Amino acid sequence: MSGTVAAPTELAIHRVGARRMGFFTDTTVCIGCKACEVACKQWNDLPADGSQFKKGGSYDHTGDLSASTWRHVRFVELLEPSPELQQEAIGALPAIPPAGELPDLVAMAEGTGSKWLFMSDVCKHCTNAGCLDACPTGALIRTEYQTVVLQADVCNGCGYCVPACPFGVVDRDPIDGRAGKCTLCYDRLEDGLEPACAKACPTDSIQFGPYDDLVGQAERRVAELHRRGVEGAYLYGAGDEPEHELAGGLGAFFLLTEAPERYGLPAEADSPIQENVLPATAAAIGAGLLAVSGAALAFATAGRRRS
Amino acid sequence: MSAGGDSTPPAPEPSGEPPGSTAARDARWVADHDSATRDDTPALGTRGEPASWQRAAEEAGVELAKPSWGDAGWSYLFGRDTTYVGPEPEPGAVAAANRKMRSGAMPEPVQGPMIHAPVWTWEVPLYFWFGGVASGAAFAALAADLTGDARSARVARKVALGAVLPAPVLLIADLGRPGRFLNMLRIFKPRSPMNLGAWCLVAFSTAGAGAVGADLLGWRGTARRLGATEALLGCYLGSYTGVLLATTAVPLWARSRVFLGPIFIATATATGAAATRLTLAAAGQSEDHPTHVALARLEAGAILAELTLSSVNERRLGRAGEALKYGTPSRLFGAAKTLVGTGLVLTLFARGRARGTAQNAASVLYLAGGLAFRFAWVQAGKASGLDDEAVALTARAKAGPGAAARGGPGSRAVSEDRRPVTGAGAAKAMRAWSHTIGRVSLAVERVINARR
Repeated sequence: MSGTVAAPTELAIHRVGARRMGFFTDTTVCIGCKACEVACKQWNDLPADGSQFKKGGSYDHTGDLSASTWRHVRFVELLEPSPELQQEAIGALPAIPPAGELPDLVAMAEGTGSKWLFMSDVCKHCTNAGCLDACPTGALIRTEYQTVVLQADVCNGCGYCVPACPFGVVDRDPIDGRAGKCTLCYDRLEDGLEPACAKACPTDSIQFGPYDDLVGQAERRVAELHRRGVEGAYLYGAGDEPEHELAGGLGAFFLLTEAPERYGLPAEADSPIQENVLPATAAAIGAGLLAVSGAALAFATAGRRRS
Repeated sequence: MSAGGDSTPPAPEPSGEPPGSTAARDARWVADHDSATRDDTPALGTRGEPASWQRAAEEAGVELAKPSWGDAGWSYLFGRDTTYVGPEPEPGAVAAANRKMRSGAMPEPVQGPMIHAPVWTWEVPLYFWFGGVASGAAFAALAADLTGDARSARVARKVALGAVLPAPVLLIADLGRPGRFLNMLRIFKPRSPMNLGAWCLVAFSTAGAGAVGADLLGWRGTARRLGATEALLGCYLGSYTGVLLATTAVPLWARSRVFLGPIFIATATATGAAATRLTLAAAGQSEDHPTHVALARLEAGAILAELTLSSVNERRLGRAGEALKYGTPSRLFGAAKTLVGTGLVLTLFARGRARGTAQNAASVLYLAGGLAFRFAWVQAGKASGLDDEAVALTARAKAGPGAAARGGPGSRAVSEDRRPVTGAGAAKAMRAWSHTIGRVSLAVERVINARR
């Protein structure tokens, strides 16, 4: 967060001495208990979203982050592998055991390439936040902890932040009419408490702390997993070189073991406004001036032909 | 537990059939969450009132960055004697692992949902259309003024004002909290196309109303100057809607980023010219009048530009363009193209006595086609946002060889430099403005809620 050039100012709360705070969500120790979801709903007074098994056969009954679900434990079920994988695995399937014997379910699962992963998804509190750039009312602000918070008394429900988020986090409540998303428990932070989800997490899959400390901890965790042979372990949103950063670095980042798309996360992301607004506006205003000139030309030539 | 074993336990309540379809599920969800039955009483404060975030004790200092952050010490599960974390990794090892896993093969199928599709309803594309007609009419008014046709210019300025009047109504109707519409003007934020567009709409309508008023009063010079201002503002009013869509994570819109603005302004010019021409025809202007000829040419030219830009864009969209090819968006685009194509044929080939009628029919077709284009673009964006694979592929394409061309920090708006507004007076005035607008919004909302 350095720099001396005057840039378009962000709406932000400034407080000397405040540090960036964040979440480190380690999916390798998540057991999918959804205690974080419940704790979040309780603390933030969020209504239940109904409990239905959505999305064709998944055991995940939450489905998605929404205006009233700010933590969502995503179940990544690779129980039904792709046809190609099934084809590949058919030879490796264990024979059906004779009656009376129990089948070796673990071996069967391994034979079909099944996996079951959990990831507690949450607002990423991006450095380059698309929702924050989009918000026309100033309801979304950057706090002194470098988190992105929506002021519910200002939001008028324009809906622009919804598609402006490259991670599909913020949403508009169809009943309340306002947008809603994780505040990283701004109210708890103000009183020196950790966020409700991190407090509730029984395996410390969700860890909260000063951002720099968290990144250090996460990098050492990745090294430890690599040492143990989990070669796919990596960080999503932290520890990158500057040119590969996701949205300038994520305030809430993750340790994952599969390609990001498995978890519904994009492989690259940035604030759509910061990416597109300058070329798009230049093209738009340029075309507008061309249209005015075209109109003038049409009138000038039509007039000349008559005379 | 006790005696009296003859009484059978009551039959369990039926737990309810699962809904049969997605639509039924959504309907049930909304019914379950009805504000009449859902308890949405806040734990603190009053609903609709500002902020329940308060210090536990007044004037209490917040101790920041405590070494252990209150009760949030590292887990007891993983102490120093366990191996949750190992020693520091080699420099660059984590970054290399991140790069490898993020650039590997993309899994099939992508496990969405990836992003949230836009929530905008019919008001938004209809607003795009009205705003476009207003901008196009303002262009026509300026051009007529420049060629000395003051009478047509006056009519065109009235068309522009008439078309822009429904715009704020539609925009307010689309809000989740319509009572708080004034908050759009709570701040001035050039980075947000929606905020800049709201200010532009205010300026455009003010200039437009002023120009029509000056016309009525016979102040020619003022009317011309205000009309020119209106046309210049129209360059943004007619095109910012495209910028607004392009600055989202929706693959179809984001990939069309330099095309959406020009396409939208072309539609705006065509529909604005068509509305002006029809109004002039209704007012009895002859079809041989040069303004009439010019407007006919302008609308046909703008439609040709629109179709050309659209087809060039469609060709370079790749996977993100799939959303245009199926379902409602495809039908809407097909209808739009048929409508404006028929209009073009009428414009180009009608001869003789039927020409006037044919040209009028063409203008109506352009207006209808323009409306279909607006709806098609918004619907296609919704479909594209739900297309998880397109979202994933579009994101991956950013890492490709073109990534460097997207520009370093120098060429784009960055949020790294956060500074408070300098100048005590300016800051104070801005804060007072925001505060007042916010208060008024809440008051308006309270009045609306009380009426209910």
